[in-house]
Amino acid sequence: MSTVFDFNGASGSGWSQPDSNFQNPDAVPESLRRKRLPGWPRASEPELVRHYTLLSQKTFGIDTGFYPLGSCTMKHNPRVNERIVQLPGIDRIHPLQDSSQVQGLLAIYYEMQEMLAICSGMDAVTLQPVAGAQGEFTAIRCIQEYHRSRGDDRRDKVIVPDSAHGTNPASASMCGYQIIEIPSASDGRLDIDALRAAVGDDTAAMMITNPSTMGLFETNIAEASKIVHEAGGQMYYDGANFNAIIGKTDPGRMGFDAVHYNLHKTFSQPHGGGGPGSGPIGVKDHLSEFLPTPIASRRESQEGEPNGVGDGFYYFWQDVGDNSIGKVQQWNGNAGAVVRAWAFYRRYGRDLERMSEHAVLSSNYLRHKIMNPEPDVAAKINCMPSEGSEASLVMHEFTLSMSPVKEVNGVTGKDVAKRLLDYGYMSPTLYFPQIVPECLMIEPTETESKEVLDKFAADFHAVLSEDPEILTTAPHTTPVKRVDEVWAARNLILRHPGNEED
Amino acid sequence: MVDQIPNLGRESEMLAEIGLSSISDLFSNIPEGVRRDDPLPLPPPQSEEQILEDARRLLGANVDLDSRPSFLSAGLARNFVPSMVPMLATRGEFLTSYTPYQPEVSQGMLQAMWEFQTMVSELVGLPISNVSMYDASTAAAEAITCAVRVKSKKATDPNSVFVSELVPPHRLSVIRNYTQGVGIELRILPHNDDGSLDMELASSAAGSSAVYVEQPNALGILDEGLMGLKEVIGDSTALIVGVDAVSLGLVEPPGHWGADIVVGEGQPFGIGPTGGGPIYGIFACTKEFLRLMPGRIVGQSIDTEGKTAYTLTLSTREQHIRRHRATSNICSNETLIALMGAMHMSLLGPEGLEKLATRISSSTYAVMEAVTKIPGVELVNPGGAFFREFAIRLPGPAKDALSSMDASGVLGGFDLGNWWEEMSDCLLIGCDEGITESDISSLVDALGAWSGGVE
Repeated sequence: MSTVFDFNGASGSGWSQPDSNFQNPDAVPESLRRKRLPGWPRASEPELVRHYTLLSQKTFGIDTGFYPLGSCTMKHNPRVNERIVQLPGIDRIHPLQDSSQVQGLLAIYYEMQEMLAICSGMDAVTLQPVAGAQGEFTAIRCIQEYHRSRGDDRRDKVIVPDSAHGTNPASASMCGYQIIEIPSASDGRLDIDALRAAVGDDTAAMMITNPSTMGLFETNIAEASKIVHEAGGQMYYDGANFNAIIGKTDPGRMGFDAVHYNLHKTFSQPHGGGGPGSGPIGVKDHLSEFLPTPIASRRESQEGEPNGVGDGFYYFWQDVGDNSIGKVQQWNGNAGAVVRAWAFYRRYGRDLERMSEHAVLSSNYLRHKIMNPEPDVAAKINCMPSEGSEASLVMHEFTLSMSPVKEVNGVTGKDVAKRLLDYGYMSPTLYFPQIVPECLMIEPTETESKEVLDKFAADFHAVLSEDPEILTTAPHTTPVKRVDEVWAARNLILRHPGNEED
Repeated sequence: MVDQIPNLGRESEMLAEIGLSSISDLFSNIPEGVRRDDPLPLPPPQSEEQILEDARRLLGANVDLDSRPSFLSAGLARNFVPSMVPMLATRGEFLTSYTPYQPEVSQGMLQAMWEFQTMVSELVGLPISNVSMYDASTAAAEAITCAVRVKSKKATDPNSVFVSELVPPHRLSVIRNYTQGVGIELRILPHNDDGSLDMELASSAAGSSAVYVEQPNALGILDEGLMGLKEVIGDSTALIVGVDAVSLGLVEPPGHWGADIVVGEGQPFGIGPTGGGPIYGIFACTKEFLRLMPGRIVGQSIDTEGKTAYTLTLSTREQHIRRHRATSNICSNETLIALMGAMHMSLLGPEGLEKLATRISSSTYAVMEAVTKIPGVELVNPGGAFFREFAIRLPGPAKDALSSMDASGVLGGFDLGNWWEEMSDCLLIGCDEGITESDISSLVDALGAWSGGVE
């Protein structure tokens, strides 16, 4: 297979740059000088444009097809957002410029902080964390400093349900906390008795997402908050599933003290093969003095002051103060992601509530369609999966267990996932949450039409009707057949070996 | 009216199929006590036209770096990004893909990241690279926690990590946040007056888990002495070096003088400064650190027919499998920006990289020569070698100098008093490949006019 390193033209060929504007040949002393240049390709623009275009064609995105990857909220990414971030007023801005030179960016930050606070029922928001996991880490750091500021240093445990995202325990662990994992109840929801048994005067916080990764709303969340608060702990809301609830409820009402948002899920910052993301956090007043610094603020413009963005305010970076945890990213967060999310938010405004309604409608509709095939279709299906949870309603996502299928004909969740690739779909999230055996986790989002959902359900049934052998050897129509992950881990070929003459 | 939801207006049809009669039925699991009944106090939805108009108005109020002579760098570059890069990287397949958990339909992004790993590995002179960290600061912070995991068993002073005092304080703050909870004690390594590391004192770091230094450091100084640092601290202590990635077109990469881990800001390759993000951090290391390093890694493999294929590998280090015992909490990273970096690097090629580094180096010295001729202005670290940045001492507060230059339409640098109080009369001047004679004249005129008026 060809790689970019196959382009190995003449020395110095390829993309041109102007000559140096100045001549200082001995600027870097000989003793410090590089002896051999890196073995990079020598390619021209036409060759590279084709190379990367061909690579893109071997990459599946939302633009390519339905992407029901549970917990990842793979919704459409509006293109105007990409157009906006190419404007020089964001692309060519430095985070250390004086506030007076970035009034527009600060105004957008301020508006986003306000909007996120409103939607979540929090009092203060920072946009500095650049990913969901970093948001978790940041919020747990704030909670840690809060306890310390009260001389409450013995709290060394963080409670997470066993259905939590892996980032939750990993983030708390990086702050130095021990993790107490509590099992879910038999209906997949939080086991309130297990929580009651787990809390104590060593509880620093509980981290939980609601709706849960099972796609279920935690109906006793207020009770859970009360239990944790009475033990002196803080409640942390993992906002991965925020897409399900905007305008219907919020973490503030549920009793949470801190929350992170995934702008790359709920607010359509594109995932780009794994990132960038943006993971702002919101907190209640008592935690706000610990937030990372700075946050966007504003005051009424004074006379004679430059007019900023023309709304009567002067915007500025506000230092959070001596109790701030400082920085979690060197600058002010992923500003480009914030601007994209701002454009997305403006597209909805107060109708963000419609977004959540349709995310939940799509999910329940698709679940119903999959689990209730027409009799003629059902007759052809070898074996149906079971529901991950028997709840009659789910939120924005749902889980299926392929265990019954595996028992009948040996077909695993992975086999079904791989076969769906042949039908032109991205696979659902596989084997997560771990509490559902042979789990497929499906999140359709609000941006898929009824026709797409109908077709997916029909194709899902078709897969379940096929000869098991077709599934266990799938995929068949993709650029490569099933990839041997064990081979990769055993051989560890982590880079190109380099060209001979280098 | 929202235009992003295909099923608007078809709610009752879909609800009927599920056996429900209203949207509120879908949310009946939300108990009354926590339910929100009033509408969100937010403005109505906007059309694309209105959003674009507002974006142009708001972002147009910002001063972009290319609109005036600019000398602000401080760790980020006012770079030139080839047109191919944003155009190809934002192809929908790349832009809208998720982490390549299904390698069979993600070969393109996986191969591009494997090629990225190779180019970073070649650039810094170490065999292994991951597919990106958030930025240089989190790369440095996680390099330290990684080094401690690997080295603490053999180190005599396992919980100590030594950090150069010439690391930007904002980066140091990130490092403190990432290391405070896991029992790491950060100790600061002092520098000599000329900005070079005090090698006498650096020898006291032997026996600790790791040393973190930067080349060039926060004041732009290239310190030849660092090339002997590994010998001083020995094999049981990890040497972590933060770099200006472009400088490695001219400067010997740390992997060639004993660095165990190299980190840095990848931003100069691939994307503009973008208000500080999204950018990406480089993370490369020796084999010793592979199994305890943070972040995603792509490996070559084969498919069931023996055909070459790519896949994520060594995932058992990661949070989604190892949970609280993971080597890092990183999940979303900066893959798309790393892809932009790979595109930019492959366009440059080896000689293009050298040329780019030479252009920056040349402009650094040209600017330095010009500004240090201004009466009352002097170089803070005379006699050193520099890349991209250098610090000057002024006859008055840097803050005043910057606002005076701002009034003349010049972005004159960074007030070092923001980082170190005792340097409030010092300016960090950043130079890039785009600096012209005319930019330098504007800077010299503006700074000269201000310093001439300081008494």
